[in-house]
Amino acid sequence: MTEAKQIAGPPATLVEPIDMSQLDSKFRDEIRSMPNGEELAACFACSTCTAACPIANQWKYKPHQLIRMILLGMRSEVLNSKEIWECLTCFQCQERCPQKVRITDILFDCKNLAADEGKVPEKILALAKELIDKGQLYVVTADWEREDLGLQPTVPGLSTDGIKQILRETRTGKLAGGGT
Amino acid sequence: MPMYNLYMGCSVPANYPNYEAAVMKVGEALGMEFEYMTDVACCGSPNLRSIDYFGWLVVNGRTLAIAEKNGHDIVTPCNGCFGSLKDVQHHLKHDEKDRSRVNKELKKMGLEFRGTVKVRHVIEALYTDIGIEEIQRKITRPLDGVGISIHYGCHLLRPDDVTEFKPEMLDALVRATGAKVVEYPLWKQCCGATVLPVNEPLAIRLARDKIRSMKEAGAEFATVVCPACGNQLDLQQVGLKDSYGEVYDLPVLLYPQILALALGINEDAIGLHMNRVPADSILPHLKG
Repeated sequence: MTEAKQIAGPPATLVEPIDMSQLDSKFRDEIRSMPNGEELAACFACSTCTAACPIANQWKYKPHQLIRMILLGMRSEVLNSKEIWECLTCFQCQERCPQKVRITDILFDCKNLAADEGKVPEKILALAKELIDKGQLYVVTADWEREDLGLQPTVPGLSTDGIKQILRETRTGKLAGGGT
Repeated sequence: MPMYNLYMGCSVPANYPNYEAAVMKVGEALGMEFEYMTDVACCGSPNLRSIDYFGWLVVNGRTLAIAEKNGHDIVTPCNGCFGSLKDVQHHLKHDEKDRSRVNKELKKMGLEFRGTVKVRHVIEALYTDIGIEEIQRKITRPLDGVGISIHYGCHLLRPDDVTEFKPEMLDALVRATGAKVVEYPLWKQCCGATVLPVNEPLAIRLARDKIRSMKEAGAEFATVVCPACGNQLDLQQVGLKDSYGEVYDLPVLLYPQILALALGINEDAIGLHMNRVPADSILPHLKG
């Protein structure tokens, strides 16, 4: 009988071990209280969402792992991940989830939590500033093109005052630095 | 004559006046009365939803409340606006707490959200209110069975309990013009527009994969019903020559452009020359 070899060091695992002291046990309840987060705990990790995702192949954290990370309380890893911002919002994961977990909606919730801590990618922040300054993401410049097609040079009924006023008072205003 | 509150959003008027003109011409030909909504602007897009959910609810709740004043349904030609308005309406109808929070803000503007008008994509209004039979009756220059691949766009289709749109509607509308619908493996895949601000190479790869999938399936033309999808599949296609060394030459038309041509409307009136990949090769496919 051969003797079992003594293996030095930590055991080989498929994923990095999780440091339990770093987990935030309230994170799952936080997400569950947000829009469409209710079904979060129904996830049984079948990873159908990951199979449906057209870009999961280039993500470190796959969609089913992000859901598992929320359930485990890995708040900081999720909210600091690039994955939540790269989500295409194509809703294919959500459409196919057999447990009716609203995965895409939950990633929107995560982005809102990250934004509340001021963690917003630079170019998304630039869009927030556009909304505050101009009240729209695209502004008509080539009005002659419109006239050539028999359209009015400026969009009939357009007024950006309402949206600017609203967003100055909400988180967009704070993020863009022009808020109260 | 059905009347509608027309919500144009920001991208169509700024980037796709040819789409706007085609919608107006088709409406005129089929007896749909579109009235531009007043005092509205941008829906904020999924980007606003990502960073400021409550602000997004109030902005779109306000648009819905304005439409409720005259009671006509909202129609929009943009999947982004459609997705935002539809999702906000769904949420406010189902979440009492957020509805009263939003209404507290709207009250300051003399408005109230009650959820009494429908939000609809122009395409769905064409399908439901005018109908395939009536559209076919008005067609004077049908297409000759040329193959067209459809990119529906994610926010038109999903989440389906919110959007209530069925892909078969657009299939039927394309067939009504006399064209053949060319199915392709990546029909459900995203055009990549939303990821542009954070990962441009990825956005370009997604657009390229779609175009390639359509082309390989034998499509001679592609059609879209959203300005953001149009940017990705039409405008980005021009750049693929540099980024991938690939040329696809797949003309991309906004669906109302195709319908307008089949209804006998002149190509200049729908700005066909403004499509980035030259699209006038569709003209010889019109009969009559």
